[in-house]
Amino acid sequence: MIQTLDVNPDLAKAQNAEAGASKFCPGCGHGMILKTLAHTLDDLELQEKAVFGCDIGCSLLSWNYMNVDSVQTHHGRTTPVIYGVTRANPGTIGIAYMGDGGGLAIGSQHLVNAAVRGENMLIVLANNTNYGMTGGQMAPTTMPGQKTETTPYGRDCEVTGKPAKGAEMVASIVDPNKAYVARASVSNLRSLRKTFTKALKNVEKGGFSFVEVLSICPLNWITNNEGTWDRLKTMEEFFDVKEFVQREGLE
Amino acid sequence: MTTVKHQGFKVENVAKGKADWYCFTDLCKGCGLCIVKCPKKCLKWSKEVGIYQTPAVEPNPEECIGCGTCALVCPDSAIKVNKK
Repeated sequence: MIQTLDVNPDLAKAQNAEAGASKFCPGCGHGMILKTLAHTLDDLELQEKAVFGCDIGCSLLSWNYMNVDSVQTHHGRTTPVIYGVTRANPGTIGIAYMGDGGGLAIGSQHLVNAAVRGENMLIVLANNTNYGMTGGQMAPTTMPGQKTETTPYGRDCEVTGKPAKGAEMVASIVDPNKAYVARASVSNLRSLRKTFTKALKNVEKGGFSFVEVLSICPLNWITNNEGTWDRLKTMEEFFDVKEFVQREGLE
Repeated sequence: MTTVKHQGFKVENVAKGKADWYCFTDLCKGCGLCIVKCPKKCLKWSKEVGIYQTPAVEPNPEECIGCGTCALVCPDSAIKVNKK
């Protein structure tokens, strides 16, 4: 029987308790990634120092998710906005949150330049292999043979080229002495929390962190709960889930 | 900061009386991801509905071991396992 409960949900302090249900679709991976990020901010007590920037696309629906200073920008410009903040206020923990469209398509030039220069920030890129907000069109990360709105017979690599692998690209251009680059997955949230802990500790030391998280999109994949986890397993076989670059002394 | 009261239901004494299991129906969207992730496969669709009027989930209190995997994986923090 539904009643008014006298207990509260297990929310992190860095999560906005007054927002109610999040604005994401049922089963969206963004909720899991942001929840884990908020708990990690609590663990490291960085809530007061953090600035959270969200990009356009589904990730902009996180504008009231976090209980930290937030800013929303357009079309991959989260990266320059956040490193502008950290350059103006040294000691700030800048977090740029974006999807695969914002990071690897329309905002890739910012990602590349921030990585080459080693800006002091954390970039979290949620990869769900399609453009979720506009209805599930083909994205740079769409896997070969995957059906989307614009590739109804499956992605043909002869015509469209090969999928972009963000973490490998960033790992090849960063300075290994001050960077942390990893790919994680929402299938293992305890491991994701450890990855975020390392990434945020690296940002505290003045380095550049990039974490690509393999995420899920049940509505546009048109999968039920079992099919969603199966598709994520296929993604983990295609995209390597591991740490690519880890500076020394990071535990 | 104001405190927000949540609507939901409670399954008492799961895991041989070692825990209470809560579902917040004003947060649960009925995605069912927890049903697949449950190690004992003891979660099933409930007769109660969540925020989008889709079925919420509830555990079988005899089989549930109170591990909290459902609470960890829920994207909307709609499940809470209170260990006594």
